[in-house]
Amino acid sequence: MQLKINGKLREVSGAHGDMLLWALRDELGLTGTKFGCGVGLCGACTVIVDGVATRACITPLAGLQGKEIRTVEGLSDGATLHPVQQAFLEHQTPQCGWCMSGQIMTVVALLERNPVASEADIVAALSRNYCRCGCYVRIKSAALAAQQKMAAQRGEAAA
Amino acid sequence: MSEVVRAAAGSAPQAESREASAGERRWRVSRRGFLIGVGMAGAGLALGVTVGLPAARLKVAETFSEVSGFGGATNDPDAWFEVLPDNRVRLFLTKVEMGQGVHTALAQIAAEELGLAPEDLEVLQATTSQGVMDLAGTSGSFSVSSMFNPLREAAATLREMLRAEAARMLSQPTGALRQEGRAFFVQGDPSRRVTFGALAANRSNWQVPKEKPALKPAGEYRVIGRPHPRVDTRDKITGAAVYGYDVRVEGMLYGAVLRPPTLTATLKSVRTARAERVDGVRKVVVDLQNGFVGVVAVSRAAARAGIEALEAEWQSGKLWQQEEIDAAMTVGGPGGVTVQRVGDAPRELRAPTLTAEYRSPFAIQSPLEAQAALADVSADRAVIWASTQSPFVVRRFVAQAIGLKEAQVEVRATYLGGGFGRKAGWEVAVEAARLSKAAGAPVHVGWTRQEELQNGYVRPPTHHRLSASVRDGRIVALEHQQASGDVLFTFFPKVAADLVGADFGAYRGALLLYDIPNRHTIVWRRALPIKTGPWRGLGLLANTFAVESFMDELAHAAGVDPLEWRLRHLPDTLWGRRMRAVLEAAAELGRWGKPLPEGRARGIACSTDTDTVVAQVAEVSLEREAGRIRVHNVALAMDCGLVINPDGVRAQAEGGVMWGVGSALVEEMRIENGRVAARNFDAYPLLTIAEAPHVEVALLDTARDGKPRGVGEPPMGPTAAAIGNAFFALTGKRLRQIPFTPARVKAALSA
Ligand code: FES
Ligand code: FES
Repeated sequence: MQLKINGKLREVSGAHGDMLLWALRDELGLTGTKFGCGVGLCGACTVIVDGVATRACITPLAGLQGKEIRTVEGLSDGATLHPVQQAFLEHQTPQCGWCMSGQIMTVVALLERNPVASEADIVAALSRNYCRCGCYVRIKSAALAAQQKMAAQRGEAAA
Repeated sequence: MSEVVRAAAGSAPQAESREASAGERRWRVSRRGFLIGVGMAGAGLALGVTVGLPAARLKVAETFSEVSGFGGATNDPDAWFEVLPDNRVRLFLTKVEMGQGVHTALAQIAAEELGLAPEDLEVLQATTSQGVMDLAGTSGSFSVSSMFNPLREAAATLREMLRAEAARMLSQPTGALRQEGRAFFVQGDPSRRVTFGALAANRSNWQVPKEKPALKPAGEYRVIGRPHPRVDTRDKITGAAVYGYDVRVEGMLYGAVLRPPTLTATLKSVRTARAERVDGVRKVVVDLQNGFVGVVAVSRAAARAGIEALEAEWQSGKLWQQEEIDAAMTVGGPGGVTVQRVGDAPRELRAPTLTAEYRSPFAIQSPLEAQAALADVSADRAVIWASTQSPFVVRRFVAQAIGLKEAQVEVRATYLGGGFGRKAGWEVAVEAARLSKAAGAPVHVGWTRQEELQNGYVRPPTHHRLSASVRDGRIVALEHQQASGDVLFTFFPKVAADLVGADFGAYRGALLLYDIPNRHTIVWRRALPIKTGPWRGLGLLANTFAVESFMDELAHAAGVDPLEWRLRHLPDTLWGRRMRAVLEAAAELGRWGKPLPEGRARGIACSTDTDTVVAQVAEVSLEREAGRIRVHNVALAMDCGLVINPDGVRAQAEGGVMWGVGSALVEEMRIENGRVAARNFDAYPLLTIAEAPHVEVALLDTARDGKPRGVGEPPMGPTAAAIGNAFFALTGKRLRQIPFTPARVKAALSA
């Protein structure tokens, strides 16, 4: 089948199981999306499907046709980081980094949907994204900074 | 041999595979014990440095060097520099990056003496085949403190070697040269310059100068002590960083391994026919003697389906229950080892003022990246990519398992998606190597979360009994009796364990350092039906919880403010002054004694680990109905001596506090019907962002002796005790067992 991933149509065979996570990682080599639990509990595998933060480990391939799938690899064009990535960089957020794609994709989806997200909204959106290294203080501050950064950019664009 | 597809792209950067191949790098021992690279591919200069090398080993190396002209494998640098003709300067490290920021801190230390910015250095992960040795692995919070001096000396020596060569090339006295980045120029005439690369290319017979170069005094540091962005951050937010679970090579297959249904079950027989017929299965490997059965397939899903299809017959052993383990995990009886004896505590404790008991449970390290390795085994060589804290231990066990010599096995450590002691093991790499050997193809094994929770080694439960005699507002005698499962002894041969006597990992943090005339610590080693081992901080968290909760109980019993009580029992020694400073700083930062919002209270606690002292003030509230404790704020003051990267140290402190809160409130593993009850995070939840407190950090350096100390584990010491102490301040009830679950909180409230 063909899936639209990061703006490109990719052929996916399903040879690595029914779930999107393993097609991304083991078939397409998009290993930026991580495995943590396989049952939707940890958030490490979060990608964005049609604008919604989605756990790839429990998302069957069947039914994804025609949908826009975005992974961490598609967030920036290489040179310029996405504002959420930029904020995570500036706040020196990752320790081991394993959870970070999931945290970042969750925040991106939230801020695209709700540009005026409050701290409480951010915490609620991230409340099922584990960070074993305990980077929570910085994840929160980076996400808040990203929200402000994106708001400022929109302000500039509007002006 | 297959080529790396991604390993080079996203760093966990390693040298290109060709250079990393076994046997090419050789070292000549030079003056002052430095190692000079011999036979480098192309021209260039390599200078290696050994860390904490026993003099005897260096002697052997030197002798061997005289005979053969080469140091060979006995000179084992822990780190080395390479200056390449294209003017790259590379720093190779054996220490692995698991989120603790060690590559950045070590680059800062090296850059300081090289007169460079850390960005001028390329930091690379050394593989085990580059003539290196680091049997200790990356653990124990001592990477920076152990490498600080050797690395500075090596960097300064390299700089002086290059400067002397520049002076020769430019026909100038060394004093007339100035350095600008990776080049020297003649003062007053910047056009007359020569780059490091040109110097390296120009000469092959490098000599190490006789004199030690002067090291920069601390007052002149420009890189050390300044916050520096981590070298690995960018790759970790773009998805480019490659971890053990991510490594891919051409033609790779996937492996899975059969696990016993209970802790004590042993495999009697297995029928493989059905598994062999599963779509995509390539090979079923059975080694009954070693209890090993694995499946190799074209996908992980097929490999696991193959495992499901195996018909195994097990000899079931005893079905252990948690209650039996709790009952056995008690202090007292024969076999106690006194690990601390000051004065005569038993005599003073015949009628103690107070006695209390504390408990901590099994807990699971749970790095978010489960165990993972890729093995590519051929007849006479094996390459292993692994998320490992112990590449050299992995090499040894892989070599044993597949019948190769250690020198034929190359272990390439990738980035680790968390370690926390759990990735000091070698199981997954051995599994991948066995399966790769049998399948004749590269095989990746990545554990499921269920395997990660059920098939590793875990933090042992502990039991503590503390007794004290208090007279005239001072503790005159204190005794800490502690029982624990093994922490480091799991990995010790029995003779060594008997010789050492008590598991120092288990009693880390158990010793009583306060100024009390009579102090005893006695520990019991208790056998458990499950393998237990290192967990971030080893015994630090449980022992500190017990000792610092008890100090709090004594303070309240004496009617003294808990901060004042601790200060009163500090000796007038350097340690005492350092501890006083962090206690006062944490109290200040945490607004100790200041008014609080209704329904909140504060608790204080402190600990010492790897010569780092930490104090914390936790501010909590309570949802009484639900029995839920909420930790709002933790103020932490830490004296870890000289700080290399303040922002990195703060990050470690913040993470350590989260570990402390998680252990205090949430983490508990239970054994039911002979096995670990939890199969996934629903039954072994971790702390979430919604439960995470705000953390404030103050860094102090009272000794000012220019020495860095550990920061990876010490910050998590006091958190659980500080929270329990705050709970007491709020409710007048004492919690003596972590985690403080709603059930335990409610029980305490109604007691
Ligand atoms: S791996 Fe998908 S939620 Fe954990
Ligand atoms: S950075 Fe390690 S799990 Fe979040």
